[in-house]
Amino acid sequence: MYRKIIKRSLSNMRDSYLIYILACSFAIGVFGILLSLGDNPSLRSALHLWQAEGSEFGDIGYGMGSNWILDIVETMSGIFAFFAAVYMIYVGGFFIKQQRNEFLTFEKLGMPQYVIVTISFFQTAIVQALAWVLGILAIFIFQKFMGMLLLYVMRIRFDFGMHISTSYIWTMLKIFGFSTLLLSVINAFRTIRILQKRKRKTLIKTRWWLRIPAGLFGLVLLFSAQVCTAFLFYDMHTISYSSKPITEVFYIMLADIFGTYLVYYGFLPSILNIMQKIRSLSYSGLNIFSFKYMKERLFQNISILWFVTELSALALALLTLCYFGYRAVYQNYDTSYPFELAANKDTVKVIKGELKKSDAKIKGEYKTAVKINLVSYYSKENQTYVRQPMTFMSYTDYKELPKRMHKGNSKINSKQFLKIDYNSSLMYSNKLSEHDIEVKNAPLIQTAKIGNSFPYGSSMHFGPMMIVPDNYYKKMPAEVTDTFYGWDFKKGDRLSHTQLEKLDNHRNAYVMKVDFASSLSKSTVEVMKNQPLKKYETGTYTQAGFLRQGNLKKRFKQGGGFYLYIVALFSVALLVALGSVLTLRVNLRDDYQSRQLRTLQKIGVEESEIKGIIRRENTLTFLLPIIFALIQAYTSIAMFDFGRHLSKNIILIYAGYVVLYCLFGLISYRISWRGVRQKFNL
Amino acid sequence: MQIVVKNISKDFGKKKNAVHAIKDFSLKVDHGEFLGIMGPSGAGKTTLLNMISTNERPDHGQVIIDGLDLTKLHDRDQAKYRRNKMGFIYQSFELLDSLNVKENVILPLALNRSNKKLIEERFNYMMKLLNVENLSDRAIDELSLGQRQIIAAARALINNPEILFADEPTGSLDSKSATILLNYMQLINQREKTTILMATHDAFTASYCSRVVFIKDGVVFSEIVNPGDRDKFFEQIINMQRTIGGGNYFNVSENN
Ligand SMILES: Nc1ncnc2c1ncn2[C@@H]1O[C@H](COP(=O)(O)OP(=O)(O)O)[C@@H](O)[C@H]1O
Ligand SMILES: [Mg+2]
Repeated sequence: MYRKIIKRSLSNMRDSYLIYILACSFAIGVFGILLSLGDNPSLRSALHLWQAEGSEFGDIGYGMGSNWILDIVETMSGIFAFFAAVYMIYVGGFFIKQQRNEFLTFEKLGMPQYVIVTISFFQTAIVQALAWVLGILAIFIFQKFMGMLLLYVMRIRFDFGMHISTSYIWTMLKIFGFSTLLLSVINAFRTIRILQKRKRKTLIKTRWWLRIPAGLFGLVLLFSAQVCTAFLFYDMHTISYSSKPITEVFYIMLADIFGTYLVYYGFLPSILNIMQKIRSLSYSGLNIFSFKYMKERLFQNISILWFVTELSALALALLTLCYFGYRAVYQNYDTSYPFELAANKDTVKVIKGELKKSDAKIKGEYKTAVKINLVSYYSKENQTYVRQPMTFMSYTDYKELPKRMHKGNSKINSKQFLKIDYNSSLMYSNKLSEHDIEVKNAPLIQTAKIGNSFPYGSSMHFGPMMIVPDNYYKKMPAEVTDTFYGWDFKKGDRLSHTQLEKLDNHRNAYVMKVDFASSLSKSTVEVMKNQPLKKYETGTYTQAGFLRQGNLKKRFKQGGGFYLYIVALFSVALLVALGSVLTLRVNLRDDYQSRQLRTLQKIGVEESEIKGIIRRENTLTFLLPIIFALIQAYTSIAMFDFGRHLSKNIILIYAGYVVLYCLFGLISYRISWRGVRQKFNL
Repeated sequence: MQIVVKNISKDFGKKKNAVHAIKDFSLKVDHGEFLGIMGPSGAGKTTLLNMISTNERPDHGQVIIDGLDLTKLHDRDQAKYRRNKMGFIYQSFELLDSLNVKENVILPLALNRSNKKLIEERFNYMMKLLNVENLSDRAIDELSLGQRQIIAAARALINNPEILFADEPTGSLDSKSATILLNYMQLINQREKTTILMATHDAFTASYCSRVVFIKDGVVFSEIVNPGDRDKFFEQIINMQRTIGGGNYFNVSENN
């Protein structure tokens, strides 16, 4: 008989259970796959590039360090498991709540408490077991696919081999046992509490005297947050020296979070209440019922709607951060590593020789003469006087380089100066210009535009670079002269490991020791070749000699792909969690609520009108959070994309999120209606 | 003839343990009749009313009202028909918990988008008539069963339906409320020529009818027409109950 009871309640709520089980098995699947990727041998060898840590360049020396990409994957699976557990525990409670009346009736009929508790325990255990079976099935089916996807987004051509070790299976089994036990015990406790409390439906107090002012206050908060966001767009660039933007962000967050809650708590019900009080509106058609019904549902779901809103906003904000972060890193990368391979006059011979041996297909070859001289100026950004060597290049030479080298810099004409310097911040490019730069034995440069995109790569220089008019360049003296070489290849430089080891001896071609005297003209530079390196000695500047950037590019692409993979996975998971919470919330109506819909049908309300109520309910439940979330997420654009226009990509990202989210709304509506309709035909 | 029921039948459940709630049932009801349907619990009274009122579709047979075969109508048109022409007092009341008494009562008028003044007028009239004016603003779960039944009746009658279906309308009422309600039903039956189909197992309630059909196990057992004298009719009903069930099969009302 107990088996029958369990079977019946499982089948009664089968639609809702199905969603829950699918969401859970999705979570289990993702978790399991992440975990299994962590010890996948083929992935381990595919990611050999990431194996060695401690050296800045991946191709030098294969250390025995652990593969931190895989470490991250494992850590991520842990984080994921934590949130999945929170989700399962929280949502699992919905079902117990739904059965409250049933349990109370059992008790009234004289069933001993422990039997009821046991029933709820096993019910949960069965559902969990089902979810795990599906989840593990998903792991077996999708592991290969997800692994291949990871390799694909990391642009690694490598065949991903499926691998599930016995120790892995054992771990999963342990987690399964533990989590199922935990959830079942928690639900059993929930049942005990229901049986002890016994109080029936708790009446929701309306308390309009509190709700109306609270709602209005919430509205004011939300509005002020929007105004503040507008200010943030202007103020964000001052973040490096002013606390104003941080204060603003802090205020906006607080105002958004509390404002939204207050609006849900006070304003929206008040609106419905007012609409309901307007007789000509409410006494017409089904409104008389639907206003009240909506209000009731809203009351019941305030905290959930709020929760979903804030989490959606958080998800959108994270996506925004990730997007702009990615873009900033990408741009930074793009501007710092322009040639696949670069050399200077000391290394060019060796490198050319090695390239010949390696049979590399050269796509483009460039060379540019540069002069190195000493400069001093007042740096606005650091608010100090700076004295350093600077590399000079003529305007014509600069223009002859591939377009991508100057795309990121300010535009100059043949009479202007351009100072190329490291960007101190990833996200914000300061478009200020530099003034009054003294150059040793050359005219003062009054104004120089600023850029961050180094021709030949930033690592080839030891300081900033200056693009000067041809005339200026011709006349200026040089402490050191050098020539930079750069190559682009078809399919990489094909340098072998031994070749690279050989080349490594030519790294750090020369060292400049600068002796700064009281004035620039008295300061001198001494060039030392093949010196043992004393790092960080003041006044010494090392010239790299050559730079193999193609490999860095590869690394960067792989890292970026990995990052996108993780972000996408977590976003989708969050979306699934939020969507399914709402869907379940809409579907698990109290008994009397679904009975009311049936009653409406009995007294002659058309099905289409009842469907309308369901539709409105679903729309309300799904649309409210996403609208409020979008309003709030807008702030994050202000934070991460200050001053710039709303980019197309971020709109696409948001749109994608909204579309997926609405898809859940649609599914939820379909399921809701199915559930209600089933009861009609009883 | 206003209502013609032709050979309808209805089964519940699957093949093996199917319940034949109504078997090949036929019935004719005249315009303005006050028809009682009597039978023991489980006889199929509710099922019969549900089928005539299009709340349930019969497995076989036809239900023709004013020459229109309702079984052929689409669900949507059935709902419209129900809403416009029929009133219901359900055995389980079917009141909406979310709404208060007033909103429940005026629901049929609101659904038809009647004008506000008419709604208020009709509402006040019904509440006064049924002597429950003081309940207007109560919530449904603050009402006793009897009060709920009266409110359900008020809702059924508020838009002057052409046909009223009443399923055990006095089942939860004390004799005074029952008498008020029955008197009113009789009144609208006589004045407005409302056709009433009422299911009951109570002889006193049935004695208000103009004709009573007895059903048992899903088929018509017999019928009696009101001779014009209620006491005499009541006697006849009691006798018929004895014939069918052998005495105490039916509840005999104490308040005759
Ligand atoms: N929805 C249903 N499902 C299965 N059996 C039903 C259903 N409704 C009624 N029945 C059965 O049909 C028969 C007639 O029921 P009903 O019309 O409610 O009787 P009455 O109203 O006369 O008490 C009963 O045996 C009852 O068990
Ligand atoms: Mg009945």
